[in-house]
This record gives sequence, structure tokens and C-alpha cells, in this order.
Amino acid sequence: MHILLEKTLRNASSYFQNFFIHEYKTRGLIYEIDARVKFISTIVFVLLAVSTFEPIKLLFLLFSLFVILKILGLSLKKLFQRIWLFTAFSFIVVSPFLFSNLQYSLLFTLRVLISLIAVQMLVMSTNFYDLCSALSSLRIPESFVHALWIAYRYTILLFQDIINILLARESRRVAKTSHREIWKKGGEAVGLFFLRSIERSERLQLAMVSRGEKIVVQKTKLGFLEISYIAIVAFIVLWWISL
Amino acid sequence: MHIPDGYLDLTIALIFFVLTLVVLGYSLVKLRHGKLTSLFGIISAAIFAAQMLNWPIPGGTSAHFVGGSLAGILLGPFAGCVSMAIVLTIQTLVFNDGGITAWGANVWNMAVVNVFVGYYVYKALQRFGKTFASFIAGWIGITIAAIFAGIELGLSTSFAYGLSITVPVMGLWHAILGVIEGVITAGVVGYIATRRSDLLEKGETGKVPFVLIGLMIVLSPVFAYLAEEVGYSEPLENVAEFLGLEENTINPGLLPDYTIPGLDPYIGTLLSGAIGVLIVFLLSFAVKYAHSSRKNT
Repeated sequence: MHILLEKTLRNASSYFQNFFIHEYKTRGLIYEIDARVKFISTIVFVLLAVSTFEPIKLLFLLFSLFVILKILGLSLKKLFQRIWLFTAFSFIVVSPFLFSNLQYSLLFTLRVLISLIAVQMLVMSTNFYDLCSALSSLRIPESFVHALWIAYRYTILLFQDIINILLARESRRVAKTSHREIWKKGGEAVGLFFLRSIERSERLQLAMVSRGEKIVVQKTKLGFLEISYIAIVAFIVLWWISL
Repeated sequence: MHIPDGYLDLTIALIFFVLTLVVLGYSLVKLRHGKLTSLFGIISAAIFAAQMLNWPIPGGTSAHFVGGSLAGILLGPFAGCVSMAIVLTIQTLVFNDGGITAWGANVWNMAVVNVFVGYYVYKALQRFGKTFASFIAGWIGITIAAIFAGIELGLSTSFAYGLSITVPVMGLWHAILGVIEGVITAGVVGYIATRRSDLLEKGETGKVPFVLIGLMIVLSPVFAYLAEEVGYSEPLENVAEFLGLEENTINPGLLPDYTIPGLDPYIGTLLSGAIGVLIVFLLSFAVKYAHSSRKNT
């Protein structure tokens, strides 16, 4: 069981760093832009990236995103730390076409890279609560958004719960176990974890009913910053079309 | 199995977006009176936490648990589908795991196909024992979901590999790894069956949703294939071209073929779309105004 624990903890420690992205000390202008505007702009950028294989359009889009990142103060270094792995993976996936169709391999990777940058611009600069609030104001069903918010908030707590269960079982183990035994005992531990989670959800539902809780949708008016950002995005879209 | 942005053609992504929204919307409507928000939230977080476990496999490598079939068996297919959709949405929006344009396809594979197939396989085999049924459900569910991902990728012209490569690669690989998914699902269900067997006695979903969603799952690759064939043009235009018929315009209209004469076709389409939306808005307001003024009189 210790292999399961060790591998999980090693993997999870890097995974959970994503939860603390909002604690960056330097906060640029992009953090101040309304989440609704950023969310829709991200979709627009991704759509532009994945709807073409024209080099000029893709390079223009990449250049535009770099300019926005620089102006709005998002760390390029931190952004690339998050996206390089998957960009490299995509390049490897299409690498068999390197000799027969070099242009395709490069442009395919470029499309993925631009999409990843666009989504990371949103992820790295937007608090998840603001994102849920934006989804709510965009008419995504309230029960779905609310459950999304609860799931996000409880993930760390429940992960700690499952690790505690595995640790407790590991501390009681006296003999060496095979892979089959790890899967069997691990399955039982996860079964206990799901039982506890269901009971926790029942308690939470009662607490929510008694005190009342819902996501407060922040419907603030769009300010100068948001309108400027929309204008920049519209300008990029029109330029992209005319290329 | 998470498909990123850029791998799927937009037509295919759109088809799976629509199919997913239909099933997800129906599931939310069906469960709207259940006050299940916290259950969705907590179980989604639990699935997410369980997905982070790295299960060691012989040879020094490890595998992850997906949990689609388990969600279906524990919560029923509709609540399971919503829970998995929540997990996948967080993975897209927080971890960038799976693309925004591929969200529909990812949710279709892992929250619809995996959950519904897993649930119904479990129900069909339950009489042979819950542990055995859940093992097969976990294994088959993940394998079929992976085959669907392979079909979506193989049909997309953006992705250079054809169906003959994507389907066997995705299907075979996940059929092997799916054994672990099956073992863990069986372990969890076996444990819950001994402690709280009432949780596994979810009511039947009804024959009509079963048949309709089953048909949608079976036909979804056909929809994707047709979407790819039709592309962005009118199906009737394709038929006319196929039959060798010539166009004989009677009335070109104000915005012929959604363009503005003299303007770049892209800008023309964009502007004619905006004009169309404006007209619909104006008409809607006019109808609403007429209706409310009649009510007042």
C-alpha cells in the first residue's frame, strides 16, 4: 500500500499547486478584468486558433496573445511552466508526420499551444468563485454551478480524507503485499471513503438548508478596463478575419 | 482520455456539445426536485480526489482511476452523469485538462457513455453477483468510452491519424488499463454492498430514457461522421451538387448566402449574422410588447 501512497502524494503535491495560483504576489491588470469578459474572450481565442491551419493567422494570434500577456502583466515564465509539457506531447503525437508533412506537424502543435495559452490566461488570472459567478450570469443552470463550486472547495478536504484512510490502513499493515492485494485493499479503502463522502454530503445538505447558501452573482457593470479589453479582442478578431 | 483543444474539428466538437447538453440538461431536469446539489458537489470532489490516486501496476508504472461506472452505480446514471460532468468541467477550467472546445466530446465520453454503459452493464449482470457485475461494468465502461474518443479523433480531419489507428490504439490500451478500473470499481462496490447495500439499490431509470439515450450513444458516431461530411455547407446544396443540379435563383434576398455584396465574405457573414440576431431581438421585443399591452387592456 505504501507504493500507492507515495506515488499519489508525489503526484498530488504538484497537482495541488494549481489551487494556489491566485496567491501570486504580482497582480497585473488582467486580474482586474471581469471574469465574464475573460471567459468569453478565451472561448473566442480558442475558436480562432482551432478553426484554421493558416500559418499567418496562427502566428498573428500567437503574437497578439503575447502582446496582451505583456501589457496586462501575466508572468510568461509561469505560463510556460504550465503548458510546455502538453505542447511537447502534442508535437510528439504528430512527429511521425515530420518528414512527410513538416508544416502540418508544426501548425498542429501551434494550434494546441495557442489554445493552451488562451485558457491559461483565464485560469491564472481568475478566481474560481468569480468564474462560477460568471457562469451563473451566463445562464448556466444554478444547481450545476453551485455543485461545481462545492466540488472545487471540498476537493482538498476530501483528498486529505482519502489519504488519512490509506495512512491508517498502512500503519496497521504487518506483511508485504502484492499488487493484487494493493488493488483489493485500496478498493475497500476507496469504498469507505465514498461512504464517508456520501454521509458528508447528507450533513452538508442539511446545513445548507438550515443556513441557506448560494452563489451571489456579481452583476457589476462593465467598466473602462473591460470595454478596452473587449475592443482589443474585437480588433484581433477582425484583423484575423481579414488576413 | 481528455481530448485537448485543437485535436477535434469544430463540426465534430459542436455535434458532441449539442448531444452532451441534451443528456446533461435532461439529467438536471429529472433531478431538479431532489435537492441534490451538495451530493453532486461532494461526490464530484470525491471522484476527483480518487482520480488522483496513482495505482501501481507491475513494471514500475501506475494508472489512474476514472470512476464513470462507479458514479453511475452509486448515484444512478443521471446523477452520475452530472457528477462526472462537474469533475470534467473543473479539470477543464482549473487544470486545463481537456479543451474548452472539446468539453462536449470529453463529457460525452466520460460522463455519458462511461456512466450509462457502466450502469446498464452492472444492472444486466447484477444477478451474477455485485462484485463481478461492477468489475465488468468498470472495465467495459472505460473501454467503450475510450473507443468513442478514438472515433471522434479519427473522424476529425485536423488530427492526421485515421480511424484505423485511433480506435485500436485508444480501445486496446484502455481495454488493458480498464482491468484496473474494473478491479477498483469491484472493490468499492463490494465494500459498499457489505456496509450500506441500500445505496446500490437505485430505482430503474425508465424504458423511454434508456432507449433514447442508448440510441443517442449508438448513433453519435454517425452524427459525427455526417457533420464531418456536410461541413459548413447546406446539406441540400451537397445533395444538389451530388445530383449535378444547377442553382436557379428566384430571389437572392437582402443578404445573399449570408454575405453582403462588395464586402469580404468573412466580414459579410459576421455582419449578416449580427443583423439577423438584431432582427430576431426586435421581433421578440415587439411580440412581448404587443402581448403585455393586450394584457393591460
